[in-house]
Amino acid sequence: MQNKEVLLEVKGLKKYFPIKHGFLGRKTKYVKAVDGIDFKVYKGETLGLVGESGCGKSTTGRTIIRLYDVTEGEVIFDGTDISDLSQRELLPFRKKMQMIFQDPYASLNTRMTVADIIGEPLDIHGIASGEARKNRINELLKTVGLTTDHASRYPHEFSGGQRQRIGIARALAVNPEFIICDEPISALDVSIQAQVVNMLDDLQKNMGLTYLFIAHDLSMVKYISDRIAVMYLGKIVEIGEADRLYNHPEHPYTQALLSAVPIPDPDLTRELAKDRVILEGDVPSPLNPPSGCRFRTRCQYAKPICSEEMPELQDIGGEHQVACHFTGKLIK
Amino acid sequence: MSNKNISPELWEKVEVHASRSEEITRKSLTYWQDAWRRLKQNKLSMLGLALIIIMIMFASFGSMFTEWDYSSQTLKNANLPPKMDVVKLPNDVYGFVHREYTLFEVDETGHIIDRLEPTNSMLDIMQNKRRIYEINGEEVVLDFSFISDAKKEGKIAEKGFELTVNGEELKTVKSLWNKTYLFGSDDLGRDLFARVRYGATISLLIALVATLVQFFVGVFYGAIAGYAGGSVDMIMMRIVDVIATVPLLLYVILLMVVIGPGLKTIILAMGIIYWVGMARIVRGEILSLKEQEFVMAAKTLGASTWRIIARHLVPNALGPIIVSLAMMIPSAIFTEAFLSFIGLGVPAPMASWGTLANDAVKALRSYPFQLLWPSLAISITVLSFNFFGDGLRNALDPKLRR
Repeated sequence: MQNKEVLLEVKGLKKYFPIKHGFLGRKTKYVKAVDGIDFKVYKGETLGLVGESGCGKSTTGRTIIRLYDVTEGEVIFDGTDISDLSQRELLPFRKKMQMIFQDPYASLNTRMTVADIIGEPLDIHGIASGEARKNRINELLKTVGLTTDHASRYPHEFSGGQRQRIGIARALAVNPEFIICDEPISALDVSIQAQVVNMLDDLQKNMGLTYLFIAHDLSMVKYISDRIAVMYLGKIVEIGEADRLYNHPEHPYTQALLSAVPIPDPDLTRELAKDRVILEGDVPSPLNPPSGCRFRTRCQYAKPICSEEMPELQDIGGEHQVACHFTGKLIK
Repeated sequence: MSNKNISPELWEKVEVHASRSEEITRKSLTYWQDAWRRLKQNKLSMLGLALIIIMIMFASFGSMFTEWDYSSQTLKNANLPPKMDVVKLPNDVYGFVHREYTLFEVDETGHIIDRLEPTNSMLDIMQNKRRIYEINGEEVVLDFSFISDAKKEGKIAEKGFELTVNGEELKTVKSLWNKTYLFGSDDLGRDLFARVRYGATISLLIALVATLVQFFVGVFYGAIAGYAGGSVDMIMMRIVDVIATVPLLLYVILLMVVIGPGLKTIILAMGIIYWVGMARIVRGEILSLKEQEFVMAAKTLGASTWRIIARHLVPNALGPIIVSLAMMIPSAIFTEAFLSFIGLGVPAPMASWGTLANDAVKALRSYPFQLLWPSLAISITVLSFNFFGDGLRNALDPKLRR
């Protein structure tokens, strides 16, 4: 992974959502969905982004692709800061960066045929028209394992897995370099999940794509990712190579997450149950997050310093970064 | 479980082709085909649709069935009913006694030939309450003194008139449909059929204008407010509130002062007010639709705001839009009829169903048929649009999809 070209760099990215009060719309409070995160994505790799519901994973993805305006920070794509470009200026970047959405039932316009859905990016960017457009649509359908007969049908006639593949075909239409996968498999059946993930894997190999893979299923993320970033309440708490992070998690939150992954062996499960870290309580409200370390309210190792100082991401060697005051010093 | 002995040889393994597993065999139905399929099952709304089509045909081609124009008057043929009880006159022509105690000649198919002129003087008619005609040299007397005589004695008259030829009473032979005036005539001798047909064009024109205004102004305005959101939405919807607060009647009266009464005024007033409801419905729909992932997908593809509204949001809101259109058409027709009825409608000699009803009310006890036709037309049209709209709502409701 060393000496790789950086495709996307996120520096101190923040996304706050204002909450309006009163009829004059005074902005008094902010939901700090993403609160200062930094990471890099290298060309050709897959970065997995995990965390529980409401920790800001999807917001991160949507802010990077500028579905939301950036509150603060930089998003550097291929050397250009796109965080404060206008929608018009963003147009060329839309061809390089695409997104696959979570819900295959909501992400396709039900009033458009599959051909029109996949053809829309071609129309918007003026890539192809007429016969060339038709050929490109058929080619894309074949790429995602559908047939050309499907082009004239409507989304409601397809299964969830097929719909998700239509969504993937739409994202591929502009020949992007970078695709943000926003929980692309969490709405699918387990059997279909593997199918879609394998397809994403093949596409990456064949087309040299780079993925930011957002999910909450750690085992699936480990399977597809080269590196994994763990998010908690708007912050990245640990980031590192997939195998290393999976086998030697350093942050107590990562440890808890990993120990929650079910193991399909009842005997082993019973044995491991003793060591299982079970998190109590809910994620604190991002409206007013805990002081210092965000995880301290649920952390079994929490010390006074955790409420006073916010731990920064520290490199502990081999591109493995952890944000904890007690990295390497945790006693089980 | 009655047939237990099925031998294993009877089973045959079917090969599954990987390529065929993606095949969809069901016939491709678009959203509209599916909606139409469900609408067809609703008998009431199909009846409504049929009646709407009949009404449109009536308005377009109804003038072929009458020789009269909506404004042509024949004063002596005033207030003729659609159905006439006729007697046989001495010259072998049918005669019809009008409720105003005048005698008309009618041919055997029911066409009005002419009104006969009495031979006695006006003074004699007034004093002796009778009209004397000379037909084929014979004296025909129409005596209508019974009611005033009975009144003097404080009794109720058994009959209104008596028609005699040389002292012999003529009895009603049969009933004939009035072929000259299919729906009868009004107090100025204008053909009611022509006037009801003309009223239908006015009402349908109003419906058309209300629909167009709703569709273009309401949908456009609502979509922009809903999509923009925030303070733009707030300001736009407060403007809508202000427009909706002032009653339609006030607009009509004010506009009449400024541009004078007429069809233009009503259409303008409806144009001002009728898009408001639609704007609210569309805004609400767009507000919920714009958060959906397919809109986000369009944004990440770089679609312009206009493209998102026109290709993604409005088509998805079309169901509620069409239902609301179908439901507001009868309301527009009814409003026009109401305004015309209270005298704020189209000026004479133009006719709308409302003005026709208003004219008929004055003579309701003598000529109830004059009120029947316009009110029947209003009821049928409004009801059929409501049935149709109701069925449409059910057909387009995704929750009722099967």
